[in-house]
Amino acid sequence: MTGELRALAELRGRLLWRRFTARGGIAEGVATVVLLLIAVPVGLGFAVAIGMGAYQAVKSAGGLRSDVGASAIFFGIWQTWTAVSLTLNDRDGLDLRRFLLFPVRPGRVYAMGLATGIVGDPVALVWGAMLAGVFVGAAVARPGAWLAILAVVLLAFAMATVVLVALVQEVLSAVLSTRRSREWAMIASVGVSMAILALLAWSGERPVRAAADALPYLRILQWAAWPAAFSAGAARALFAGRSAESLPWVVGLCGTTLAAGWLSFRIALALAQGSGATGEGGAAAPSRVGSGWRGGAWGALLEKEARYLFRQPLARVDLLLAPVIMVFVALQLEPRIPVEAGEVVRALPLFGAALYAHLLLQAFWLNGFGWERGGARAFFLSPVDLGAVLRAKAAVLYGFSLFLFLLSAAVMLLLGKGTPPRWAFAAAVVLHAGTAPWLYAAGNMVSILRPKAASFAIQRSSALSTLSGLIGMGIVSAVTMLFALPALLATRVDSPTVLLAGWSVLGLAGALGLRFAIPRQARLLAERRDEFLPVVCGDEAA
Amino acid sequence: MGGESHQMYESPPAPLAIETRGLTRLFDGKPAVAGIDLRVPAGAFYGFLGPNGAGKSTTMKMLTGLLRPSSGASRVLGVDLARDGLSVKGRIGVVPDGLALFERLSGGEMLRIQGQLYGLDRKVAAGRAEELLAAMELSAEGGKLVQDYSHGMKKKLALACALIHGPELLFLDEPFEGIDAVAVSGIRRMLQDLVVRRSLTIFLTSHVLEVVERLVTHVGIIHHGQLIAQGSLAEVRATGSLEETFIRLVSEERPVGPGLSWLGSRADAE
Repeated sequence: MTGELRALAELRGRLLWRRFTARGGIAEGVATVVLLLIAVPVGLGFAVAIGMGAYQAVKSAGGLRSDVGASAIFFGIWQTWTAVSLTLNDRDGLDLRRFLLFPVRPGRVYAMGLATGIVGDPVALVWGAMLAGVFVGAAVARPGAWLAILAVVLLAFAMATVVLVALVQEVLSAVLSTRRSREWAMIASVGVSMAILALLAWSGERPVRAAADALPYLRILQWAAWPAAFSAGAARALFAGRSAESLPWVVGLCGTTLAAGWLSFRIALALAQGSGATGEGGAAAPSRVGSGWRGGAWGALLEKEARYLFRQPLARVDLLLAPVIMVFVALQLEPRIPVEAGEVVRALPLFGAALYAHLLLQAFWLNGFGWERGGARAFFLSPVDLGAVLRAKAAVLYGFSLFLFLLSAAVMLLLGKGTPPRWAFAAAVVLHAGTAPWLYAAGNMVSILRPKAASFAIQRSSALSTLSGLIGMGIVSAVTMLFALPALLATRVDSPTVLLAGWSVLGLAGALGLRFAIPRQARLLAERRDEFLPVVCGDEAA
Repeated sequence: MGGESHQMYESPPAPLAIETRGLTRLFDGKPAVAGIDLRVPAGAFYGFLGPNGAGKSTTMKMLTGLLRPSSGASRVLGVDLARDGLSVKGRIGVVPDGLALFERLSGGEMLRIQGQLYGLDRKVAAGRAEELLAAMELSAEGGKLVQDYSHGMKKKLALACALIHGPELLFLDEPFEGIDAVAVSGIRRMLQDLVVRRSLTIFLTSHVLEVVERLVTHVGIIHHGQLIAQGSLAEVRATGSLEETFIRLVSEERPVGPGLSWLGSRADAE
């Protein structure tokens, strides 16, 4: 390893170490260990299952079982790996822009960033365990020299997946580098989603079959998943005992990985060299002061919060995600609930949508000030009650969450079998409104005590610290359990009235609790400003 | 010298815009500001000077409510900050270190919303926002998100935000840092006009002593968290320039050793 690479490796290691030794770092470390304690057994469990799959695929030595096994293993791992990486990983370890001044080749820095992307991601342990499971399963089934090629395929597959994720991220950064392009992309995404929904609705009662009929024409899409496609091709030949046939696939896999890596690097370099002091740039726009919202300082707070929320890439993604997920719920889950399960049970998908609308926005109620940056100082400098700031944040977030829920409910109504009874809608609205104050009251405490300067990105990991994420899981579980009590009782007696009454009482208690909590939380925020502001404003790494 | 300046202020009891007694801030037990007694007369253009890390920004943060003092008391515009900070906030304007801008609002939105947060009617706030954008030569950029502004543009916008509600006292932390010479000249004229014609009090920190000397009427110098000089510009600088006085007061005797001999000998490094 050359001197500069050693320095880069040391830098990465020290940054990681500082994360745990900085203020609150021990708690972060504990949270990471807890996550690993969950991730490792899950990974091992999947590894054993996949290992058995690989064992059977090798034992069958060709034929449908072997082919399907190889495809399932690689496409399955690739799909989850890519999805999780794109959602969680914001690759903030080595920023190419910071290294342009140093006499280090940018290509080396980038390659190292990619390589450490595998080991630097705790979730990568799960993928590593799965790939090890494939190797062990295959080795037990048929020991031999062919395993060396399989090892190369598995390593190349891992690298190819990391490179593809990086390429997607760089392309998105390049395409969505200006506000206007982001808005157009968002409009296009909404348009495509709506077109899919319309197509599914138009296909009547057999939307799944209509989609299945279209599959042969969509096969070409498998090449978009080239790490899995090439690896599966190689594995099919290897499992069948035709090692020589696997070589073109291995060469193809390595070649496409190198090409994608090079392309990804060039885009990253162009972006790094193109970004100036003015941020993302953009043409001068005429003065648009606007007339503002009514309601004095309160109206100004609401307007600020609403504008901020709707300019959040994460919130816009949620706006797309909620209806798309509900399409699957309406088409796949709802029809499987038998009529005899009772009215309350049949309304569960709708209730789930009410809770999911809050869950999607948890980064905002767990880190309410995370995107303010220097603006957070304005709250402390202006003659505004901090309680009003917390109330405005809660009001705007609740409005957005309600919109997400109503959108989801509309999708379920459009695609689901039969119309749910009116009481179910009323109960879902009460559930949505009733859980909000509980979540927001607890979330305010996390926002004040565990703030994090978040980036305006679609990756959720950049919005919350590991510990806040864990606490959020605890809060959601506790509130869900609390509201499940009336649901259990109502299911037992099959009485919607019990459900409505129970949730109304809990909701009212939550609203009173939030009203009581906000002035105290505002005082806590004022008292903690010395620790709070440097973190939120980004003066100090969170 | 600090002690002398206290005596100077005792004879003519001028109204004070800022008055602190033993204002102290400790970080990890170490004093960043060590019991300073500031006295800023109303209507003064007060330059608060000091080398890097002397405690200027920490003092300003304590005076504007961004940081809690470890001990001591401060009165701003005659009001005890610890007792009624909220009423003071409506009467002061602040351009803090690191600025206080919501970067995902447009410049125009930021200004108007800031005005509304300070209690202005939305139409009044919108009108003043337009005027301030024009005064700062930012009208063409008013619809652009603040995050797209250059550093100098952000500084000008932050100054406009601090002025929109017509404050009686303006706190400016390094207002000329990162701004081009033309903009510095424009802002300097505007600040002088605010003090002379509108009787505004300005409390300013800056490293640019030449600019400060041309602007301020009063000076305070802080070093290692202690106020080592305070008074009118003429009193503090005595016979020399402000820069000479400043360097004399804050520089520490440091022998020029044989270190750094490798500088300029690239061949040795290779």
